[in-house]
Amino acid sequence: MATMNTQLVMLSRGAEAEIYLVDFFGVKAVLKKRVSKKYRAPLFDELFIKTRTRTEARVLSELYLSGLKVPGVLFVDEDKGVLILEYIEGERATEVFEKSEFEKLISISREIGRFASVMHSLRIYHGDFTLANIIIADDNVYVIDFGLAGYSDDIEEYAIDLHLMARSIHASKPEYAEKLVNAMLKEYKLHYKGDAEEVISRMKEIRVRGRYVDRELRKAIMRERYID
Amino acid sequence: MSIFSKTYEFTPSIKPVKEPVIILGIESTSHTFGVGVVEYSNNSVKFLANISSQYKPQSGGIHPRESFLHHVNNAPRVLQKALETAKINPSEIDAVAVSVGPGLGPCLRVGASLARFIASYYGKPVAPVNHAVAHIEIGKLVSGFKDPVIVYVSGGNTMILVQKNKKYRVIGETLDIPLGNLLDTFAREIGIAPPYVVEGKHAVDICAEWSSEYIPLPYTVKGCDLSFSGLLTAALRLIGNNRDRENLGKICRSLRETAFNMLVEVTERTLMLTSKKSILLVGGVASNKELRWKFEVVAEHYGAEFYGTPPEVAGDNGLMIAYSGLLHFLHGKLVEPSRVFTRQRYRLDEEEYPWLP
Repeated sequence: MATMNTQLVMLSRGAEAEIYLVDFFGVKAVLKKRVSKKYRAPLFDELFIKTRTRTEARVLSELYLSGLKVPGVLFVDEDKGVLILEYIEGERATEVFEKSEFEKLISISREIGRFASVMHSLRIYHGDFTLANIIIADDNVYVIDFGLAGYSDDIEEYAIDLHLMARSIHASKPEYAEKLVNAMLKEYKLHYKGDAEEVISRMKEIRVRGRYVDRELRKAIMRERYID
Repeated sequence: MSIFSKTYEFTPSIKPVKEPVIILGIESTSHTFGVGVVEYSNNSVKFLANISSQYKPQSGGIHPRESFLHHVNNAPRVLQKALETAKINPSEIDAVAVSVGPGLGPCLRVGASLARFIASYYGKPVAPVNHAVAHIEIGKLVSGFKDPVIVYVSGGNTMILVQKNKKYRVIGETLDIPLGNLLDTFAREIGIAPPYVVEGKHAVDICAEWSSEYIPLPYTVKGCDLSFSGLLTAALRLIGNNRDRENLGKICRSLRETAFNMLVEVTERTLMLTSKKSILLVGGVASNKELRWKFEVVAEHYGAEFYGTPPEVAGDNGLMIAYSGLLHFLHGKLVEPSRVFTRQRYRLDEEEYPWLP
């Protein structure tokens, strides 16, 4: 890759991957490198990095080709665990939610609902579907970080996505949350290919049986399996 | 060095009216009936006794009734030995601590009945201790960690927790079977257990040494939650009727590797998410060497400290109940003997614990 700028600027370091801002043949791009873990047996480590990278690339390409707004995949090296993705220049939805007025948030919520419905119709779940993973660029809604995404026919996975998003909206805009979530679900029902009511009722079930252990720690869902 | 030969520094936020404080703790949630005694004085805690008797099934897993009968038959002997070892008279005790849940109903009632009896006979209050909280508190005491990422793995629990606003917050937990249960069930189904643990080594660890190969198995992590049941089914299916040592070894090794990697991955993520500086491993599975090694590697990578509780206090024991009872005592979380109720499904994140940060 002679023309790729070798100057790497690290954007963030997660538990699983390091994110760099790179210049990929003149295009501003994001390089996501999954890091090897010494605690895993070498075979498992390779397999882990390979399958996660592959799934993420596959999910992203499929969504991209379906016309959804996700970063395009520019380069994949599954053996090295490297993905180079289009850089989405915009604002995090968490920040947009803080300052925008109701009308704009309603339209964003609808767009999120539509995104989820199309994604789930393709049997894809996101796994960490929260406002922190949504970027608003020129009024377009982009979804990023498909590191925990996958394919499944289990509506539980879809319901978890909706549940996570609803919780995230409640946490950042409690005063409008109810209306925003309803707008999202209404749009979801319009476009989801299967039985949307089933997914939504499962989502409500998750809300009752499980709860966030902590709002700042969005990733955690706890299920109430010990009911007295 | 034995945990009994040293004293543990412990500065309570509320000082007791008189010192020393002596607490007797009774554990009977599952297969272990144990009695422990701790003494607090002058900002330090001493372990006076930790006696237990374990129910070991001849075949199959824990039968609640059989375990209950074992506890009933062994309770007087264990209690007497604990008092002798601690060199105390029951009247010197300040409170009786008992593990009231979570656990098996019949087993829990043995401990609760004994606690009610001792407490009412000698006119002492009872500290109703949560079994899971006890595992964590004893780990915090012996490690000296104040605010770690806590990994609690045993036959009945698999959780990743942190402390916040005087409560335990569950960041991730198993969605189906616990890690210890996965290892036990697998060992039992493929015919290498019982006995589940021989000389401190689990049957799956022994079996894992029979091969040096690996085979990929399902890996299920959802956010910070874990799911082990698919892994169990897949591993059992791979064994099929092929019970030769090489095959058993390969699959045991891979099952262990996969399950542990899942747990370590979510712990690592929690460590990043919360920016804590230490990892504390508690519960029965905490004495597993392979798991400890994995956590040591992760801790080193993040410049964090790691501590795995030593075997004497990692598995179920009376000592941890006694120590948690001490915390209850100092903060006045006590009840009358007639108000001691067992709770089979007593979650640790339901209530506030005044001693937490």
